[in-house]
Amino acid sequence: MKDDLTLLGNCTLDHDGCVVCSDAGIPVRVISIEGDDALCEDSAGNQTEIAIELVAPVTEGEILLTHGGVAIGKVETKELTAES
Amino acid sequence: MKYVDEFRNADLARAVSAEIYSLVDPNRPYKIMEVCGGHTHTIYRHGIKDLLPDQVELVHGPGCPVCVLPMGRVDEGIAIAERPEVIFTCFGDMMRVPGSKGNLLEVKAEGADIRMVYSPLDALRIARENPDREVVFYAIGFETTAPSTALTLQRAKKEGIENFSVFCNHVTIVPPVRALLDSPDLRLDAFIGPGHVSTVIGCRPYGFMPADYGKPCVVAGFEPLDLMQSVLMLIRQLDEGRCEVENQYGRAVLWEGNLKALEAMAEAFELRPYFEWRGLGFIAQSALKLSAEYADLDAELRYSTPGVRVADPKACQCGEVLKGVLKPPECKVFGTACTPERPLGALMVSSEGACAAYYNFGRKSFEKVEIGSR
Repeated sequence: MKDDLTLLGNCTLDHDGCVVCSDAGIPVRVISIEGDDALCEDSAGNQTEIAIELVAPVTEGEILLTHGGVAIGKVETKELTAES
Repeated sequence: MKYVDEFRNADLARAVSAEIYSLVDPNRPYKIMEVCGGHTHTIYRHGIKDLLPDQVELVHGPGCPVCVLPMGRVDEGIAIAERPEVIFTCFGDMMRVPGSKGNLLEVKAEGADIRMVYSPLDALRIARENPDREVVFYAIGFETTAPSTALTLQRAKKEGIENFSVFCNHVTIVPPVRALLDSPDLRLDAFIGPGHVSTVIGCRPYGFMPADYGKPCVVAGFEPLDLMQSVLMLIRQLDEGRCEVENQYGRAVLWEGNLKALEAMAEAFELRPYFEWRGLGFIAQSALKLSAEYADLDAELRYSTPGVRVADPKACQCGEVLKGVLKPPECKVFGTACTPERPLGALMVSSEGACAAYYNFGRKSFEKVEIGSR
C-alpha cells in the first residue's frame, strides 16, 4: 500500500531541502483523524500530525499532499487511471 | 505512468528525449523558463539538460522565495528577533540568508531566542506553551505556503492567542512572471509552471501568458520525467503553433485549484500595493500582508517595522541570474567569494537557489570521451 504514496514523487517528511523554495509537496497517508488534524504517515514511515481543514472532508487511508504541516491537496485517482 | 519509479525510468526518459529530438526545429531556439526553484533543483540534480537538444535552453526563474527576498526584510526580521521578549520562529533556510549585518543564525549564537520550525502551526504551539513571551513567525513563500500561514492565523484568532504574530513576506507568482515578460532584456518562448503552487491556485491564473503575451505554459510535476514530458508538451505547442495553458501534473493539480485554501488566504491576507523583489525591483500587487481583520496579529504593526531598504553587495549579481540574463557560473563571485558555505547572495543560500543547485550538481561543460580512446 505504501507504494501508492509515491504517486506524487519520493519526497518525505524529513525532506532535507528548503520546504518553501522547493515548492515541496509531501504525499502522506491518513492513519487517523482527530478534529481538524490527522495523524499521517509518509512513504518512509515517518508519522506526523497534519492540519486537514483545507481539504476536508478527509477519510482514513486517503493520500494527501502536504506542505508545512498543512494538507493542500489530494491525489486525483481519476487522473491516475487515465494516465496509467 | 503511475508510480515514482516510472517517473524516473531511464528507458521512458530516453524515449521522451528521442521524441523531443525528433520534433525540434534545428533553425530556431526554444528558450523555456522554469519558474520554480524546485524544478531548477530537479533539472540540475538529474542532468535533464544533457537529455535535451542544444536548441532547448532552460532558463531559471524567480521561484525561490528566499532568493527574491530583499536584504531589508531580512534586517527587519533580525531586529524583531533581537528583542528580549520575543521567541522568533522561521523555516530552516531563512537562518542563513544574509542581511546587511549578519544572518539569523549569527544572531541566535549571540543569544537571541530563534527557533526553526517545520510549520507555522509549530510556531503557534510554541506561543501556546509560552504565554509570557511574544512569539513571531517569519512567514515566507509563494501560494503553496501562504495557506498554511492563513490557517495558522485562523486558528490563533479562534483560540484567542494574543502572544502570537506573523511577519508576513508571502509573495505571489503571477506578477513577477508578468514583470519578466515585460522586461526588454529577456526573450522567452514558453514557461514551465510551478506544480504545487498550482495545487492551490489552479491553472487559470496562467491564462495571461498565452492571452497577453502569446507564450504557452505547462504546469509540471517535480520528478525528472514530469519535466521531460512538460518540455515535450511545450515543444509540441510551439511547433504546432498552439498557445495555451496545459496541465501535465494532473495527479495533484485541479484546474480550479484548492478553493478552501484560496478562501482562507482571502480572509487572512490582502495584496500589498507593491513589494520589493531582489533583482526585479518593486512590483505592484506582488505580495501579501495581513488583512484588516487580522491586523492585531501583524508583527509589522506590533513592532512598527520601519520598512528599511538595503542595497545588495555590489559584487553580487543575483538580480541578473534571477532574470535569466546570466547563468550562475557567469557571475563574478560564483564559487569564489560566494559559496554555499559562505553565501554572498541569496541564490547561493537555499538549496533550491539556482546558484546553489548549479554549484552542487551543475557542470560548466564536458566533452564526450570515448572509453579506451587514450
